[in-house]
Amino acid sequence: MADVNVAPSLLDDSIRKSKILVVGAGGIGCELLKNLVLSGFNDILVIDLDTIDVSNLNRQFLFQKEHVGKSKAVIARESALGFNPNVTIVAKHDSVMNSEYNVTFFKQFTVVMNALDNRAARSHVNRMCLAANVPLIESGTAGYLGQVTAIRKGLSECYDCNPKAGQKSFPGCTIRNTPSEPIHCIVWAKHLFNQLFGEADPDEDVSPDTADPEAAGDAGSVALQNQASEAGNVTRVSTRAWAQQSEYDPSKLFGKFFCDDIKYLLSMDKLWTKRTPPTPLSWDNIPEEISDQQGGLIKDQKVWSPAECVQAMVSSIKILYQRSKELNGEESFLVWDKDDEASMDFVTACSNLRSHVFSIPKKSRFDVKAMAGNIIPAIATTNAVIAGLIVFEAFKILEGKWEECRHVYLNSKPNALNKVIAPSSLDSANPKCYVCSPHPEVTVLLNVSQMTVQSFEDKVLRGALHMISPDVMVDDGKGTVLISSEEGETTENMSKSLSDFNISDGTRLRCEDFHQEYDLNITIIDREHLEENREFTVIADPSQLQPKAAVESSGPQPSTSSSKPAPSTRATESVEIDEDLDVIFQKGTANDDHQQEPSIRKRSISGQADIGSASKKLRLSENDIIEL
Amino acid sequence: MASPSPKSPGQISDKSKKYDRQLRLWGDHGQTALESANVCLINATATGTEILKSLVLPGIGSFTIVDGALVTGEDAGNNFFLDHSKIGKPRAHVATQLLMELNSDVKGDYIEETCDQLLSNNPDFFCSFSVVIATGLTEKSLHSLSSNLWQNNVPLVVSVSYGFTGSIRLQVSELCIIESHPDNLLEDLRLDKPFPGLKEFMDTIKLPEMNHKQFSHTPYLVLLYKALEIWNDRHGPNPPSNYKEKEILRNIIKSELGYGIVKEEDSNSGDEENVAEAIKAVNTALTKTQVPSNVQKILNDDQCIRLKEKNSFWIIARAVKEFVEKEGNGVLPLRGSLPDMTSDSQRYIALQNVYREQASKDAEHVWRHVQTILKERGWAGESVIENDVKLFCRHSSELRMIRGSCLAEELDGKQLPPDVDINQQLEEPDSPWLHYLLLRAVNKFHTENGSFPGYYDDNVETDIAKLKGCFSRLLNDLGCQGGSLSKDDNLHEMCRYGAAELHAVAAFIGGCAAQEVIKLITKQYVPLDNTFIFNSVTSTTATLRL
Repeated sequence: MADVNVAPSLLDDSIRKSKILVVGAGGIGCELLKNLVLSGFNDILVIDLDTIDVSNLNRQFLFQKEHVGKSKAVIARESALGFNPNVTIVAKHDSVMNSEYNVTFFKQFTVVMNALDNRAARSHVNRMCLAANVPLIESGTAGYLGQVTAIRKGLSECYDCNPKAGQKSFPGCTIRNTPSEPIHCIVWAKHLFNQLFGEADPDEDVSPDTADPEAAGDAGSVALQNQASEAGNVTRVSTRAWAQQSEYDPSKLFGKFFCDDIKYLLSMDKLWTKRTPPTPLSWDNIPEEISDQQGGLIKDQKVWSPAECVQAMVSSIKILYQRSKELNGEESFLVWDKDDEASMDFVTACSNLRSHVFSIPKKSRFDVKAMAGNIIPAIATTNAVIAGLIVFEAFKILEGKWEECRHVYLNSKPNALNKVIAPSSLDSANPKCYVCSPHPEVTVLLNVSQMTVQSFEDKVLRGALHMISPDVMVDDGKGTVLISSEEGETTENMSKSLSDFNISDGTRLRCEDFHQEYDLNITIIDREHLEENREFTVIADPSQLQPKAAVESSGPQPSTSSSKPAPSTRATESVEIDEDLDVIFQKGTANDDHQQEPSIRKRSISGQADIGSASKKLRLSENDIIEL
Repeated sequence: MASPSPKSPGQISDKSKKYDRQLRLWGDHGQTALESANVCLINATATGTEILKSLVLPGIGSFTIVDGALVTGEDAGNNFFLDHSKIGKPRAHVATQLLMELNSDVKGDYIEETCDQLLSNNPDFFCSFSVVIATGLTEKSLHSLSSNLWQNNVPLVVSVSYGFTGSIRLQVSELCIIESHPDNLLEDLRLDKPFPGLKEFMDTIKLPEMNHKQFSHTPYLVLLYKALEIWNDRHGPNPPSNYKEKEILRNIIKSELGYGIVKEEDSNSGDEENVAEAIKAVNTALTKTQVPSNVQKILNDDQCIRLKEKNSFWIIARAVKEFVEKEGNGVLPLRGSLPDMTSDSQRYIALQNVYREQASKDAEHVWRHVQTILKERGWAGESVIENDVKLFCRHSSELRMIRGSCLAEELDGKQLPPDVDINQQLEEPDSPWLHYLLLRAVNKFHTENGSFPGYYDDNVETDIAKLKGCFSRLLNDLGCQGGSLSKDDNLHEMCRYGAAELHAVAAFIGGCAAQEVIKLITKQYVPLDNTFIFNSVTSTTATLRL
């Protein structure tokens, strides 16, 4: 009767004939699957590589307690079929970035819908859809905020048209030598976890960094370095092997990380001319400071005193050491997990002890978890709203009314125009986009004699540019192959530096990702030092290149320096993203009536300053804000 | 180093794990409020069950579904909680069962009666609910329900999904919000009106006697305070208020405060982090300390002055008013928190304690006023607890109050809000007022014809004509004589919908409405005031005040 008529029969028909790919079966994915099944879609493929966690159950309603640990895609399919057994749903418990999901795979779908939680996968699906010329609906939520947009090759901007502000990353020497914010200590504590129990990564060293450019020529540190090596310094043995020698004796670990290393840092006195110097802690004399904070109704939200931190450190080390002893076979190390209590206690305790040493405000376990795990608050209501909006965009695409598609933002409260939902027309593609323009180009600033081919592949091509299986040729007239996607073909290149291949200032590299059907030309600019001690900077639009003098700065910037969302991606220290993240952070449009003059305004709407996610909308609306 | 052991890791409950992601939005007290709430849903329509779904998942205390209908094929087609195997069974029962499967912490109940039956047999039935959610009601039933709930002071949320459009109407007689979570809350620092403890603390600090190291590790608040002292000596008691004056203050911070302090080495002067922070804070930290207008409105409200009811919010508000007039000398209780700043721990903690102590003194005063108020009126002491007073004081600058309007009166209403030019609105293709009126018109159609326009396929043409009649009579009723639609497109569209509830619209409206219910229950964030209109074709929304 009434129900079927509503949608004009043409739409109704195309709904029934369509084939939909849903990428992600998390918060948005569950709602979306339900909406699709109940809107008449009957051929759906859902893919997700994740398994169900307890913290999903407050919104991912296709899952229940007994499903914890199982595949999201598989259970989502079962639950949806339980409701309507007459539709075809195929579930893949897999990463959408796997090579079997090639362009031909993508071509079979009428519309692809992203319900993802990380940029790399979003960026990848974006490329696959551009290559397959399939419309993509992109979405994301964070707390009360959300957004939906439609992407189609040639008809709109693509996901990569506006480079996202990079994930918050920190220079190595800030983490190792001169932390000034809680997050620096938290990142350090996560590294410490990996050094002691996890997969050791040389980039995650936790001991003092003597190569800190700021401390260059520091006689004191040189002297101490010599002294230290005489004393059989840990630089020779890995941190882990050293800890094993003492069977993870907590007093020894404590002595090294919160006393000896700190004393060492103090000897690098150039670091402390303008900073508050750290105060080493002594195992025998842990300060008993009152930690009675207001507000914390549950213990998780209380800030531990240093003595409590030591207690938690001791007990968590005991558990983690025991666990690492029990490891056998394939897994030789522990993996840090924000939902594992011992891991979380360890990081809370160690980060707060370090904060104490450096006179940095301490954080509750609850807050440390949010920052260390990059937790984005998530609720059922926002996902429901966003999943509804995705379906409306799909209707318009199926009806061929591309011009009616919108980029829709969900605000946490009505904006200046009294709207909670703010639709805007789709922007046209950025002609200089490094992904969807006819001849994609980027410029990468780096130090050619320091960057290895391995780092270039891992950090620049895969990390920042989201490639999957790159082939790289140096444009030197000889066709030198730098990186090959064929296994083993260029292994011997990996440890060499770029300069070993005569790559210098101005060299062009031809990159190709066969899987993504994506070609990219990279121009290398050789820079000895980069701002904030970054390893590299990717510039999508060469006109954004600042004069050399401005880019090159000696030593790290003070931590208070404003971090203007530069149109560049950067990475030295990337942090993984939790579910449903990304996008948004639309600046408030209403005028702040307390401010009668231009002022620096840097608040992030959600108060989650450390998420470091900002979208192009942020950049756009920043035009209304005059910065001093 | 022995000390009481910290709460051992193994004690984090399953519940806080399950709710972790939302506790980060509304806190434990928000969660507690949610878990003690009891909501009623009238009619388990697709929109209705979608709302409940988004309340059951985050752990609402309990729900009751009131529905006299049986499951139809149409329900099975658009409602996730009613499938084909349940056709012919009581809708209230089936939906309750499936919704309860979503969360074992939630209690569910159902009543297989219509809203009208309950209203006439048991008019007090709805009084016990925290919020009542209504979907799928005729205008007549809505009218009785609205009057009943308005009298009993129970919030009502009416949600409609109609074809490609939808609406939410909130009816709440009075809602007082302590934690409104404003976007741009300024720090409460009192530099312009230093309290004695702050003055005392600042007076012990002598910048010129410091060495460079001590100076550069001094909290920026101290620098600002000292710079203001210099400013006051030269320019009188008013802090700098415009750009030019603030620039003068910035210069004092930059060049005068550290004057004469000998640097240990030839490091560049003037780039101390704390100095940079102080300069940056000149804009925000010097805002005049005063009672914000929305808070003043609450303190001056009749409820606050006459205090007729034993209501915790108003009792504390009254106590705060007395505080402002007496101990506070015209300002609200101190918030007591400090922003992060560059400093050595010792002085930061000392400064933090100065603010905390004053905040707890202020809260103590308010608490004493509360007790006096209770005693004077012979009200039981336990009607207000001390923690609530502390929370109230901490958030006293962000208090909000909403007084809503009664839906029954809106339905009886003889006019639209005077500031709305209806003829102009009717010209605009996507005017929210147009959609509001269209939704009213189809209800009028239903009242007159017993079914919605276009519901029966063979009547569409005649229904369009009838709906047109309804629409112009509605305009007449609302005092807009002569108002009419220039084109019939929208009426055709409404008839084509045939009152169908599309799942995607129900999902959208359901998510929005559930969010409003959570705001009402947790008394956090400012809810919709009071009508929300949605058009999915253009993805536009609007908020109307009726």
